[in-house]
Amino acid sequence: MDDRMVRVIGILQDSFFPLLKAGVTFTVPLAIISFFLGMIVAFTVAIIRVTRFKPLLPIARFYVWIIRGTPLLVQLFIIFYGLPTIGVTLDAFVSGVIGFTLSVGAYGSETIRAAILSVPKGQWEAAHALGLSRIQTLMYVIIPQAFKVAIPPMANSFISLVKDTSLAATITITELFQVAQQITARTYEPLWLYMEAAFIYLIFCSVLSVMQSRLELRFGKSGD
Amino acid sequence: MIRIENVYKSFGNLEVLKDISLTVEKGEVVCIIGPSGSGKSTLLRSLNHLERITGGRIYIADELVDERLNDKEVSRISAKKVSEICSELGMVFQRFNLFPHMTVLENVMLSPMKVKGVSKQTAMEKALELLKKVGLIDKKDEYPPKLSGGQQQRVAIARALAMEPKIMLFDEPTSALDPELVYEVLDVMKALAKEGMTMVVVTHEMGFAREVADRVVFMDNGEIIEAGSPDNIFSNPTQTRTREFLSRII
Repeated sequence: MDDRMVRVIGILQDSFFPLLKAGVTFTVPLAIISFFLGMIVAFTVAIIRVTRFKPLLPIARFYVWIIRGTPLLVQLFIIFYGLPTIGVTLDAFVSGVIGFTLSVGAYGSETIRAAILSVPKGQWEAAHALGLSRIQTLMYVIIPQAFKVAIPPMANSFISLVKDTSLAATITITELFQVAQQITARTYEPLWLYMEAAFIYLIFCSVLSVMQSRLELRFGKSGD
Repeated sequence: MIRIENVYKSFGNLEVLKDISLTVEKGEVVCIIGPSGSGKSTLLRSLNHLERITGGRIYIADELVDERLNDKEVSRISAKKVSEICSELGMVFQRFNLFPHMTVLENVMLSPMKVKGVSKQTAMEKALELLKKVGLIDKKDEYPPKLSGGQQQRVAIARALAMEPKIMLFDEPTSALDPELVYEVLDVMKALAKEGMTMVVVTHEMGFAREVADRVVFMDNGEIIEAGSPDNIFSNPTQTRTREFLSRII
């Protein structure tokens, strides 16, 4: 084995745990917190849009329009580098959470809305005929069925989000990719280091894929 | 029990109900027959606000359900009122519309618990009794998609009966069923009629209409062409359109 190989293997061994640690302490929490908060936003926006709740409907539409129509990277820069100029200074991690939450909320709301609309009209009619109110119909009849439909696309967005958190490197969050960049700057082995970072993302996402299958199996049992 | 006065309904420029007036007495079984697109289902669905009429008045048990003129509400009907009216009307749909994520038993228990605030225990006792009545007690823990069409429709009848409605509405209850499953549903309906339930049935089952109905209403093109006893309608129809329709289907 030549010296170069020995050196590369050494670097990969030394960097594996720092990278994994950055993944576990920043990438994963950033993804989980943003996804959780994002789902709350998404669900709220979807319900406002499906029920056509007049007072908040324009706001909900405006929000989805802005977030979907502008790049996530630009949004993160506005929150972290832009807002301090008007006196709003946020911690990098908090900025990241806000940016990703807004993004998940906007895209997720469309997914949830589509899932709700996918429930056949006859279900609404039967519930209405039984005397259930619109809110009761949503709670007991529509949402449980929509939830099943929404699992695959939602798992998809979560996996996307885990990878998108690499954008947080640009606003100084020391997540997985940022640490890979730092080590690369020291060692000049970009190919191997970034491959290693990619490998760790792959591990995270593979674990999530398995969890998705489990979830689908669990909620696919009842019904058709 | 039901009083429909000069009801009109249009979808855009298409007039689907034209000056319909009809009264249904307590304990009466009224079958509405007629070609597809004649407005039968729309009329039935107007009774519980699944469709909103554009003109006329509807009373259920002497209570005003809807009063509209030129598609504007003449009398304001609150959502609460609508829900009250709905719980007096049981409805059975062509496509069953059972809740697929709930077991048969849960389907039947849901609305008494959520709408009437009945306790779980009471709702379950009632549901089991009704499932026994429609002959599906052994299916209580199944999910609806596992059942045959006929079984699903019988559960749907039990689910509607759980609200202890004064009137049962049937919207082509056997049209989506395989022919050999039609009878198990019709038998349940016959039993219900025998108990004195007030029923309005939109149907293509002429045998059922003839045997069970107190009155048969023939609709065509948004109008009531003729109404009368089954004998009169089926054996001595006075209107040409009724005769033409009957000759085509029998």
